[in-house]
Amino acid sequence: MALYNFKKIMVVPPAKDFIDIILSKTQRKTPTVVHKQYKISRIRSFYMRKVKFTQQNFHDRLSQIIQDFPKLDNVHPFYADLMNILYDKDHYKLALGQLNTARHLIDNVGKDYARLLKFGDTLYRCKQLKRAALGRMATIMKRQGPNLSYLESVRQHLARLPSIDPYTRTLILCGFPNVGKSSFINKITRADVEVQPYAFTTKSLYVGHMDYMYLRWQVIDTPGILDKPLEERNTIEMQAVTALAHLRACVIYMMDLSEQCGKTLEEQVKLFESIKPLFANKPLIIAFNKIDVTPLTALDDDRKQVLEQIMKENTVMEMSTLTEVGVMDIKQHACDKLLSSRVENKTRQNKTDGILNRLHVTEPAPRDQKARPPCIPEGALEFRKKRLAQLAAKKAEEEGESEEEDDNMEVEKKKTERDIELEEGDDYILNLKKRYDLPEEEKYDNIPEFWEGHNIADYIDPEIFYKFEALEKEEELREAAGMYAIPKMELDETMMEISKLAKKIREKKAILQDEARVNKSSTKAKLPRTAAAKDRNRSVSRLRSQMNEVGVEPSESENAHFKKANKRGRSATKSPVATKRMRADSEGRARSVSKTPRDEMGVKNPEMRLRLKDKAHKAIRKKVGKKGLKGEADRFIGTKMPKHLFVGKRGVGKTDRR
Amino acid sequence: MAVRLQFENNNEIGVFSKLTNKYCLVGIGGSENFYSTFEVELGETIPVVHASIAGCRIVGRLTVGNKNGLVVPNSTTDQELQHLRNSLPDSVKIQRVEERLSALGNVIACNDYVALVHPDLDKETEEVLSDTLGVEIFRQTVATNSLVGTYCVLNDQGGLVHPRTSLADQEELAALLQVPLVAGTVNRGSDVIGAGLVVNDFCAFCGSDTTSTELSVVESIFHLNDSKASRIGEQLRAPLIDNLA
Repeated sequence: MALYNFKKIMVVPPAKDFIDIILSKTQRKTPTVVHKQYKISRIRSFYMRKVKFTQQNFHDRLSQIIQDFPKLDNVHPFYADLMNILYDKDHYKLALGQLNTARHLIDNVGKDYARLLKFGDTLYRCKQLKRAALGRMATIMKRQGPNLSYLESVRQHLARLPSIDPYTRTLILCGFPNVGKSSFINKITRADVEVQPYAFTTKSLYVGHMDYMYLRWQVIDTPGILDKPLEERNTIEMQAVTALAHLRACVIYMMDLSEQCGKTLEEQVKLFESIKPLFANKPLIIAFNKIDVTPLTALDDDRKQVLEQIMKENTVMEMSTLTEVGVMDIKQHACDKLLSSRVENKTRQNKTDGILNRLHVTEPAPRDQKARPPCIPEGALEFRKKRLAQLAAKKAEEEGESEEEDDNMEVEKKKTERDIELEEGDDYILNLKKRYDLPEEEKYDNIPEFWEGHNIADYIDPEIFYKFEALEKEEELREAAGMYAIPKMELDETMMEISKLAKKIREKKAILQDEARVNKSSTKAKLPRTAAAKDRNRSVSRLRSQMNEVGVEPSESENAHFKKANKRGRSATKSPVATKRMRADSEGRARSVSKTPRDEMGVKNPEMRLRLKDKAHKAIRKKVGKKGLKGEADRFIGTKMPKHLFVGKRGVGKTDRR
Repeated sequence: MAVRLQFENNNEIGVFSKLTNKYCLVGIGGSENFYSTFEVELGETIPVVHASIAGCRIVGRLTVGNKNGLVVPNSTTDQELQHLRNSLPDSVKIQRVEERLSALGNVIACNDYVALVHPDLDKETEEVLSDTLGVEIFRQTVATNSLVGTYCVLNDQGGLVHPRTSLADQEELAALLQVPLVAGTVNRGSDVIGAGLVVNDFCAFCGSDTTSTELSVVESIFHLNDSKASRIGEQLRAPLIDNLA
């Protein structure tokens, strides 16, 4: 089918449009501004480019057309012949040939004028040469007007041709007009061919498709043919003849026994005899149509006599497209006949050798005595049967034969995941745990993947339940043995009293603790921040005096620890420790200063200070960034006296607003 | 009966699903269309399980299994393994293997009794396979292709092999596998049968490009719908010749 697709041929514009398209393209796609003061070489190349561009576009467009149209010598003879009948081979070839010539001429014009342009010495002359070149090209194209319009009509017709695959399995219907060919194709395929009670309703070939024997079949409905010499046949009939002549198909020759088509049986038989050469080497079936009106048995003897000859020589079948009697039989018979002839043909040509392995089922030679039965779970086959019945019922219903409705109801529809998904829409979340093979209460247990840095899966113990049970049993035994029973204590009088007292003390302590907590309502620091460090005044002499006061004489204290104080050296000569420079950075101050710096005024605590500092920093950055300053302190003024503000006449307005 | 379906507009459904006589694994997709097709066709007969292996949905190509067990590659995470364990019936053993050829579905083709494996498969993997799946194992190629799982599909009643398998090779394979074999295609002439087809003893699923001729070959060789394998040589002969030659 893809083999012959004439739908993709590009539109062929009429000559006038063709020229307009090309010229406007030149205008759009090449430079348009040129001046006479330009260097002459530049002017020349400007116009040369226009000429060459136009010529190339004509060339491309024409080549496209010539290439798109099928070559009669290359297509299948069926199509070649069909096109000859429909469009006249000579005319078609001539039109394409003339386009080809035009293409040549245009190429030559382009070449000539490009050469002439080399000698153009002014802009004016170059321009005139370009005008002449484009004009001549347009004239050549204008002369192709009739050809172009002819090709456009051919293109439109070609695109509407049915896509007939000449190589596939095909049934062709033929016969006198009005014998029921179109009714037949409408019955066996989904093609919707017009059926009317007058001759030549079908004026061209129609294609329908059907399925039979796992294969796709093509059915071609041809226009009716009359019994006259080939030379006198008109275009409509010739299409039928072409199809019969070139397609290797099964031919169904339709005859009208009732003679309602207006032709007598003798005439129909005569037509059959005269177009018989076309059926050579093809499976043929003669179909007697309209048996609802006149069955074969109802014919009188004279007529039977007429049919006798062809009935003897060919396969003859009866049918009625009205009552559909015999229609399917004919279809099947025709298909079988064609298929067997095709298969025979292919086997004869040894084409089947390559696919023998696909036709032959290799049965295994038994290797051992082991039985290897299929393992179909219980209910599976039954379910399949039910499902098939369900499908069949559905199909019947679709075809409008829903008689046994209660029968399909027995297989109730289960709600599938898809149904749930459609129902919930965007809220749908796939629930993986729903179908777990676990007891309902355990299904949704959350098991983390990791717990305290351990992969849970590493600790899964399949025997955990046995172990747990064993432990519980052991525990029970222990409990029974009284391992956990607390021995009862006997208290005597004094112990009772002590415990009572201890209880009282504990209570009192708790009360005191609570009270202290309540009283400590102040959250202020115990020491003011400004308080001076308390002098601890620890010294040996002080200790001694205090001891004396108390009445202890530390006489034997020669080797006491407190006597081993560091001796003072010559402190006066020690160089003074270098005082650090005052730090007033983020770390805070090393030493107090009498006056708070301005940036710390009114700042309550270090947090606030940090916050404010951050704010200030941001503000500075913003300003610096916006004005492109070097830093916070940048006061640079680019031009002290912008000239435009200080020069010229001053009329209305101020000097600084200009 | 064989059913045509697609996984997110992809015909290679064997990549995203694994079908056996006891269970069916289905890759987790964007929508539940694919899963529900299996669900409807298989009903309650066997569990249909959403699965992923190493976070990938190509479960059909990464795992291998039959009614006795399921073998998954090393890349399977503990959680996925746990999920599979929870979802599959207890009679199905699940085993993770260390195997360099980690796409087990591509390198192993098996039914419930025999398995064809890639000639380069590890010895240990082979042991695991025979323990878990309970199969006899044969190192073989199909049509000189060592990816046996890709180019061959089996059930207990038949097998479909690569279309270029010679008759002699077919004989040899059939003798090993002890099932009737035929060469064929799925998905309108695709030779990667393992990707286009999943099958068990009572049901089959094909990619939606599969032609009716291919479908009927599948139904016959795998004995679905009570059809016999000999049909291929008889009733299907003419359509096959006309289609292929």
